[in-house]
Amino acid sequence: MRPEPGGCCCRRPLRANGCVANGEVRNGYVRSSAAAAAAAAGQIHHVTQNGGLYKRPFNEAFEETPMLVAVLTYVGYGVLTLFGYLRDFLRHWRIEKCHHATERKEQQDFVSLYQDFENFYTRNLYMRIRDNWNRPICSVPGARVDIMERQSHDYNWSFKYTGNIIKGVINMGSYNYLGFARNTGSCQEAAAKVLEEYGVGVCSTRQEIGNLDKHEELEKLVASFLGVEAAMAYGMGFATNSMNIPALVGKGCLILSDELNHASLVLGARLSGATIRIFKHNNMQSLEKLLKDAIVYGQPRTRRPWKKILILVEGIYSMEGSIVRLPEVIALKKKYKAYLYLDEAHSIGALGPTGRGVVDYFGLDPQDVDVMMGTFTKSFGASGGYIGGKKELIDYLRTHSHSAVYATSLSPPVVEQIVTSMKCIMGQDGTTLGKECIQQLAENTRYFRRRLKEMGFIIYGNEDSPVVPLMLYMPAKIGAFGREMLKRNIGVVVVGFPATPIIESRARFCLSAAHTKEILDTALKEIDEVGDLLQLKYSRHRLVPLLDRPFDETTYEETED
Amino acid sequence: MNVGVAHSEVNPNTRVMNSRGMWLTYALGVGLLHIVLLSIPFFSVPVAWTLTNVIHNLGMYVFLHAVKGTPFETPDQGKARLLTHWEQLDYGVQFTSSRKFFTISPIILYFLASFYTKYDPTHFILNTASLLTVLIPKMPQLHGVRIFGINK
Repeated sequence: MRPEPGGCCCRRPLRANGCVANGEVRNGYVRSSAAAAAAAAGQIHHVTQNGGLYKRPFNEAFEETPMLVAVLTYVGYGVLTLFGYLRDFLRHWRIEKCHHATERKEQQDFVSLYQDFENFYTRNLYMRIRDNWNRPICSVPGARVDIMERQSHDYNWSFKYTGNIIKGVINMGSYNYLGFARNTGSCQEAAAKVLEEYGVGVCSTRQEIGNLDKHEELEKLVASFLGVEAAMAYGMGFATNSMNIPALVGKGCLILSDELNHASLVLGARLSGATIRIFKHNNMQSLEKLLKDAIVYGQPRTRRPWKKILILVEGIYSMEGSIVRLPEVIALKKKYKAYLYLDEAHSIGALGPTGRGVVDYFGLDPQDVDVMMGTFTKSFGASGGYIGGKKELIDYLRTHSHSAVYATSLSPPVVEQIVTSMKCIMGQDGTTLGKECIQQLAENTRYFRRRLKEMGFIIYGNEDSPVVPLMLYMPAKIGAFGREMLKRNIGVVVVGFPATPIIESRARFCLSAAHTKEILDTALKEIDEVGDLLQLKYSRHRLVPLLDRPFDETTYEETED
Repeated sequence: MNVGVAHSEVNPNTRVMNSRGMWLTYALGVGLLHIVLLSIPFFSVPVAWTLTNVIHNLGMYVFLHAVKGTPFETPDQGKARLLTHWEQLDYGVQFTSSRKFFTISPIILYFLASFYTKYDPTHFILNTASLLTVLIPKMPQLHGVRIFGINK
C-alpha cells in the first residue's frame, strides 16, 4: 500500500453541500495541507484515491509496529524458546514430570506416533496461558455471560472447577453483532413453536427428503433480503464455502484469493483443483497486476486462456477488522471480465444503513457481485450459510453442490430463528427493532474505536468495522491481558503467534448492538486501566479527543503527533 | 487446517526472518553476548572475541541447520518436517535478502575476531573451523543434502 503524501491535498471536495469529501480526509480527520505532507512521511496509512467510486470516506489504518516493541517481542519469544528447550531437556531426562502424552516403552521400536518438535509451541508457550481460551460458559452469550471459574495447580496442565460462577461478565468475544443471541423474545418463541411442529432435525439431504417448506420460505426471504434473484441455504457456514467453490470452479480455472482469507475459502479453493494466486491484503494494485498477468499470459505452460477467473474476497476480515474495497474490486472485475465471490460472514447484518452487508455499505448494486455468500452464525444468532446470486447459478448449485447432495439440510427451529431475525432486521415484523439495532451497532462501533484511539492504543482496521483488534505484540502481554480483563469481569479473545504474524499478536473485541453505552464505558474504563498497567498504549499519533458530534457535520481537528 | 488463523501463510517459519526488526534484534543479541563475555575478568580481549565467534556460530548452527521441522503444526501435512530452518526460509528460494544477511553476518564476525586476536594461529584455526561449520550448510548446492547421514 503506498502512502500518498501530497496527492490527497490537491483534490477539491466533490459534493455540492460542502461536506468533507474523500480527497481531503486522512485517517478520518481533516488536516491542513502543509501539516499533512510533513506528518505523512513517518506514517503508513491506506487512503482512498478514487473519489468517484467511494461515496463515503474509507478510513483504514494499520499502524506499523514501533521498532522497540518489535525487538522486545522477539526477545520475549527468544527467552520463551530457550526456556522451552531447557524444559524439554529436563522432561526428557526425567528430572521434571512429563504431563503430556508420550508413547509407551513397548511402542518405541515402531514408527513414532508423535512428532515431538511440532508440539513445541503448544507445550511450552500455549500451555502457559491456556486459561485464556476455551473458557466454559453457562448462560446465553449475549452482552453479558456467566463463566465457570476454574483454577489450575499445575500450571494449566489440568483445570479444577471451584464451583463458583463469575456472573455478568461483559462479553466482548461473541460475534453477536445485532444482539440476537438471546433466550427470550420473539425469535425464541417462534423457534420453540416450530420445534414442536417440525421436530429437531430432518436427517436427510436436500435432494432426498430433506427439503421442507421452511427451507423454501427461508431461501425466498434471503433472496429478497440481499436483493438477488435466488438463494440457497446450507447447514454449516464453513461447509458452504468448502463445498461450493469446488462446484463453481475446477481445473483450468484461476482463483485470485486475498492473503488473509478464512480457512474455509482456502480449503474450498484447494479442493476445487484450480490454480490459486494470492494477492496482498486489500491491495487493488496487486490484484490488478495478477489479473493483467493472468489474461496476458494465460495458463502456465500451454498459454491457453483461463476458463474462469474467480476473485475470492471477504466483506469484513475478522482478524484485521478491515473492510474489502468493494467498489474497486467490482470495477476491476468488470474491466477484466472476472467473477467475484464475496464472503460476507461477518459483514451481513453488521454493515450498511439497512444491514444488508458490505454491498449496502458502499451503496452498490447486488447484481454486480456474482456469488454472494454469507453465514447466519454471526448477525442472525443461528447457524448455517447461504449463497445468493442469479437464478441459473442457484439452480446449478442445487444439483451440483456437494452440500446439497450429501449434507443434511438445516434444522427447522434454526431456520425459524433465521427467518424471524431476518424479518426483524428488514422491519417486516412491524417493529423498528431491526433498524434500532443496526443504528446502535454503528454508534457503538464508532464510539468504541474513537475512544480506544484517543487512549493511545494501536487499533487495526476500518473505522466502521465492528471487529476491533487491539495490538498487544508481546507474548507475555497476551496472557496478562486476558487474565486482567477477566479479573475485571470482561471476557476478551486474544490471539498470538502462529495464528498471527510473529509480531502482531492482538486482542479482538467484537461489538454488539446488545452493548449499551454504560457497558461500553465500563469496558473502556477497564481497558484504559489495564492498558496503563501493561503499557499497551503504543500509538504514536494520539488523537485529540473530539467533541461529541454526529458524523455528518463538518468538524475540523488537528492531530498531534 | 489453519482455522482461526489470521493469515493464509502455510508455514510462518519461512517469513519470520523477514519480519520487521528481526535483523536488529539479532545484531543486538550478538552485541549483548559479546559484552557479557568481555565483562568476565578472566577472558582477555582476543579470547572474548574468539568465544563470541564460536558461541555465535554454534548457536546459528543449532538453530538454523540442526533443528528440523517447525515448532508448531502446519496445515501442509508436514512438508517441512525434514527441512532445517535455513532450508525452509522463503520456501527454498535462494539468495533472498534474509539469506544474504545471515550469510554475511558470521563473515563479519570472523573478520572482527581475526583482527582482535591479532591473527594468532590457535585462534585462527578455531575461528576458521567454526566459520566453515556455519558457511558450508548455507551453500545452495547443499540444500537438502545430508552428508554422512548427519541430521537425516
